[in-house]
Amino acid sequence: MSVPATLPAPDRTIDTSGTLCPQPIVETAKAVRGMGEGAVLCVIATDPGIALDMPMWCRATRNEHIATFRQGGAWRSYVRKGRR
Amino acid sequence: MADRKGKAKAIALVSGGLDSTLAVALVKRQGIEVKAVNFYTGFCITETQRRKGGRSDGTVPRNEALRAASDLEVDIEYVDLSDSGYLDLIVAPRYGYGANANPCVDCRIFMMARAREIMEREGADFVFTGEVLGQRPKSQRRDTLRLIERESGLTGRLLRPLSAKLLEPTIPECEGLVDRNRLEAIRGRSRRRQMELAAELGIADWPQPAGGCCYLTDEAFARKFFDILDAREGAGEERHITREDIVLLSTGRHFRLSPRAKLVVGRNEVENALLENYAAGRARLEARGVMGPVALVEGEPTWEERALASRVVARYGKGRDRPQVEVEWREDGEVEILAVAPEQDEALVESLRI
Repeated sequence: MSVPATLPAPDRTIDTSGTLCPQPIVETAKAVRGMGEGAVLCVIATDPGIALDMPMWCRATRNEHIATFRQGGAWRSYVRKGRR
Repeated sequence: MADRKGKAKAIALVSGGLDSTLAVALVKRQGIEVKAVNFYTGFCITETQRRKGGRSDGTVPRNEALRAASDLEVDIEYVDLSDSGYLDLIVAPRYGYGANANPCVDCRIFMMARAREIMEREGADFVFTGEVLGQRPKSQRRDTLRLIERESGLTGRLLRPLSAKLLEPTIPECEGLVDRNRLEAIRGRSRRRQMELAAELGIADWPQPAGGCCYLTDEAFARKFFDILDAREGAGEERHITREDIVLLSTGRHFRLSPRAKLVVGRNEVENALLENYAAGRARLEARGVMGPVALVEGEPTWEERALASRVVARYGKGRDRPQVEVEWREDGEVEILAVAPEQDEALVESLRI
């Protein structure tokens, strides 16, 4: 997964580096709960499982998965909070 | 509980296996809002595989609970159970162990009690699972299913959609929130009906059963688990286990040097790196000048046991055929070198293996 040409500016960024599955998703869920509809969250993770997990979690929880890509030694995942 | 005029809501315990996936599909197709819950215990084999960088072919196993929730479009929440309450339970289970270190009945009660709390928090009407009557020898017998329901405080509110027609009707069935006629009457270990049902419900993707996903059901893991408890008891400590122990139990080759000391030897680069993170409070061993594993020694080895541990570590490195290998011990900032002959006595090494 390459870095997308355009990405929205995140409203919030969380760094889950060093934690392993399911912690990045647990932290994502907590962060998204506190955000408004349409807000963008950027999740930084070192667990490569995030590339599989984030799109599935977004689909299950009706949030928009914008992109997940590797940048240096970490993964970045962009999520837009969906309508509740 | 939910307003009877409103939409019913249920909490599903989801592992992502076929049975829990089918249970969610059966309940969801009745127009009931489902929230999935996946419990993290620290003993899941697939999770551990992911933590070690995936399978030997380089692929990373999927998180099946997430996959199931995604496919069925239900919200999912992870709940971390790997804290002291759960660890206390597995050390002293009220209802005993299964074939290995698996206290399945106590574990289910613990999980269902947490699910009940989530049900109350979410204003849901009931909890359901993918359990099948008679599928497992201990935890899924009729009397045990009843016991789990009662002990978790979920009497009447724990539905097993795959076997519901063989069990007493639950409150949501009696209240008409759930149509019992649209549930199943599956019993036993055959998965034939589950396969048919998957086809009927349009479920095409599920993991193949792999003999359980829990380390506690694994014979080799159980040996190491009980070894720690016995060693601590033998040393006059309480029988207890920590999160750190659990990570180490699923990592490396384990050797009992004596009641006072244990050796853990990494099997590959990933395990060596993992062991590095747990060197604090233990002795760290590694051969000098030749490639070899990282190893840790826990406890208080005698001089003879230190020499033995060094010989075992040397045996698993590239210097195994050399007459002598230097093994470096690092402990509390001190470094010591032991020059030893790699251990060649296969029977001795096997006798130490836990």
